[in-house]
Amino acid sequence: MSNKSVLDVLTHSPGTSIGVFLVAIHLLSALFGFLFVPYGPTELAGVSLLAPGSPGFSLGTDVIGRDYLTRLVLGGRTSIFVAMLGVMIAVVSGGLIGVSAAYIGGFYDDVIMRLVDIKLSIPGILFVALCVVGFGRSIPVLTIVIAINYMPGALRIIRSQAMTQVPLDYVKSARLRGDSKLSVIVRELCPNVLEVVVVEFAIRTSSAILAVSALSFLGLGISPPTPDWGLMVYEGIQQIYFAPWLVLFPAFLISTLVIGLNFATDGLANALGLDAARGLD
Amino acid sequence: MPLAWMPLEALTEEIMDLLNVKNLSVGYYDRFKQIVPAVNDVSFQLQQGETLGIVGESGCGKSTLARALMGYCRPGSLIMDGEVRINNLNILQMNSLELLKLRGERIAMVPQNPLSSLTYHIKVGPQVDEILRIHQGMDSRSARNHTLELFSGTNLTDPELIYDRYPHEISGGQRQRVVIAGALACQPAIMILDEPTTALDTTTEMQVLQLVKELRKKRNMALVYITHDLTLTDYICEDVLVMLNGSVVEKGSVKRIFKVPQTDYAKMLISSIPRVDSENGSSSFRLLVPDREPLLSVKNLKFRYGRHGSLFATFKPKKEPFVVNNVSFDLERSETVGLVGESGSGKSTIANIICGLLSATSGDINFDRQSINKAGEKRSLDLRRRIQIIFQDPLSSLNPRHRIETILSRPLKIFFGLKGRVARDRMVELLESMELVPDHLSRFPRQLSGGQQQRIAIACAFAAKPDLILCDEVTSALDVSVQAKVLELLKAIQTKTGVACVFISHDLGVVKQVANRVIVLQKGVVAEAGFTKDVFAKPKDEYTQLLLAAASRQNDAPIPIHNLGDIQI
Repeated sequence: MSNKSVLDVLTHSPGTSIGVFLVAIHLLSALFGFLFVPYGPTELAGVSLLAPGSPGFSLGTDVIGRDYLTRLVLGGRTSIFVAMLGVMIAVVSGGLIGVSAAYIGGFYDDVIMRLVDIKLSIPGILFVALCVVGFGRSIPVLTIVIAINYMPGALRIIRSQAMTQVPLDYVKSARLRGDSKLSVIVRELCPNVLEVVVVEFAIRTSSAILAVSALSFLGLGISPPTPDWGLMVYEGIQQIYFAPWLVLFPAFLISTLVIGLNFATDGLANALGLDAARGLD
Repeated sequence: MPLAWMPLEALTEEIMDLLNVKNLSVGYYDRFKQIVPAVNDVSFQLQQGETLGIVGESGCGKSTLARALMGYCRPGSLIMDGEVRINNLNILQMNSLELLKLRGERIAMVPQNPLSSLTYHIKVGPQVDEILRIHQGMDSRSARNHTLELFSGTNLTDPELIYDRYPHEISGGQRQRVVIAGALACQPAIMILDEPTTALDTTTEMQVLQLVKELRKKRNMALVYITHDLTLTDYICEDVLVMLNGSVVEKGSVKRIFKVPQTDYAKMLISSIPRVDSENGSSSFRLLVPDREPLLSVKNLKFRYGRHGSLFATFKPKKEPFVVNNVSFDLERSETVGLVGESGSGKSTIANIICGLLSATSGDINFDRQSINKAGEKRSLDLRRRIQIIFQDPLSSLNPRHRIETILSRPLKIFFGLKGRVARDRMVELLESMELVPDHLSRFPRQLSGGQQQRIAIACAFAAKPDLILCDEVTSALDVSVQAKVLELLKAIQTKTGVACVFISHDLGVVKQVANRVIVLQKGVVAEAGFTKDVFAKPKDEYTQLLLAAASRQNDAPIPIHNLGDIQI
């Protein structure tokens, strides 16, 4: 990757550019949207169920009269935060365990991989739902549960990448000069699985955002009155016949974010992966 | 028959060249979308039954040239100028349908690596059938029969059996024969062989070459043989083109070029060939008077792979055969011992045991009067420092994500606790001893050439100031000219530091150049051992004789195929 600028990777193809653009807009609005919104997210600013285009409320209000534009702008923040933090924990811890399993091998590897198999045989959404029901509905619990849910998959992929590096001679050299296991894993192997880690992070984040939204919709994710798209879809569904925008707007935002992430990841994986295969990086 | 009496067609036939390449230039787009020429203004002619060798280092454009002869450009490349005529038809102007017809039927190619040129999941027989069905319109039964004939024509024993095998189920030599059978399927007039034997070991290489030679004679084909190895062209070709950076630097009959090379480059190529049969097997590697006390002594070393460490290991009670069986040898200080044998003969395993990557199943290894039977992790820091290994593939032995500085700093820090300025000075000194510049410190391994990478790997081993150095095929991944340079530097630093060396190679020429004594291994057993001079002059063991005969293709000594029967190919 050294000869290739970040910009080259991000503008690899039109699809990637669109994806990166969508993700960038979402991230910016999540980070800085609060500076521009006209009302507070939970402020009862107007009359119930104003239609879009009403004076002072460009996207109308919801059932109890909160400004819909404000809630839409801020509605991605929490789920993006929970999903990204959760997946980051998953990928980093899964990565370290995966690389160590690949390097140390033997019994340790077997045990870890069987645990991974067991975890992967439990449907993800069921697992998360059970945990949320069991440990209570809060953002820390949700984050940790997301992390645990996404770790085994990431672990397995990163382990397989590390397996291709372990037999190489530079690892043998490190062992022979007496580097500790930790040193070999962190110094020698981890830099060589970095590409996979980045791609894993991006892929799993989009799926985690969907999962968090789905949980919120089911009433297991983020709790009211925090603005959240999944939650907003749930709240709007009762009014869908006479105020369909209450469902359509947040659903549209969830889709654009997930589609954007998928496009961006695809391009990223292609740009990184193909170069690795060609030995050009 | 006088020319005037010949019918007109025959006349033109006579005058037309089979293959005529005129001013051919092929270029690649670089990352700034500029065209960089890889083949530059190459012209030659080839008549029926002639053989032409194309020789040059990797990257000189020989494979690009070969592809252009088939009318094929790799993505990102462009035929800039010139023409390629086969029977006076310019193939560079043909459309893809015409080319399809041409390839295989008039001109066929045998690529370098037979494993990647055969489809993994299709049996080898049907892969050849397909060619016959598409090009000759045969039905499947006659295609099968024809394939079997082709297989026996390429000296594949038991074609019926091979027919139903997958590519990974047959040996490298057999695979290459299958690919050659495929190339011959439509009886092409021209066959291009692009380094067909590089992936094979010496004995197998010899058999394949002999096959190619016989087939050429039998079918009176024209042959274009591409290789980096000048000696091969002597064995198989009449004429040769020597290429350097895309241009032809010398052209003529092989015999002439070997006798009176005209350009400096050709001279250099010829002089850097390690000869098995050269008189003055360079003595410069021989060193001083060896000590009486052996530095390293290996006694009755045995090794086999176990199936330990897996949960399911206990369910597989089958015992693996010994990879190394009863090997004993001594190594004195400042001495170089060559370990020779085909791939799979256990030579790398021995090196791995000595340096501690593997533990011996049984036997004793003593290093400077202390036993080093235990695996690497349990050895003392000092012991680890004193035994260093250099691996075959430099790209794999240098962490691709670290700069050279980081790579070189590790042994200095671990073994001598050097940091900062002092460490940097020492690194620069090491680089200079390998004729590299301090600039290289900030590079990544991939930004260096193969030879430079291997020199970094050597510098890294010598950074530890070892007493014993294990060179595991250190030159096999390099071109001949680069190989000579690396050997020379290795020799210089060895003379300076006086380390002992176990030099592992399948290349007898190289071993002859560097080793005082050789040990010939066959399937994990010592076939012959002795002073290099004696072993090379009068090999006692039959296997050694075979290896030597295979290596000295210079002499054009044909090897009776039946003698090779019991060697794994």
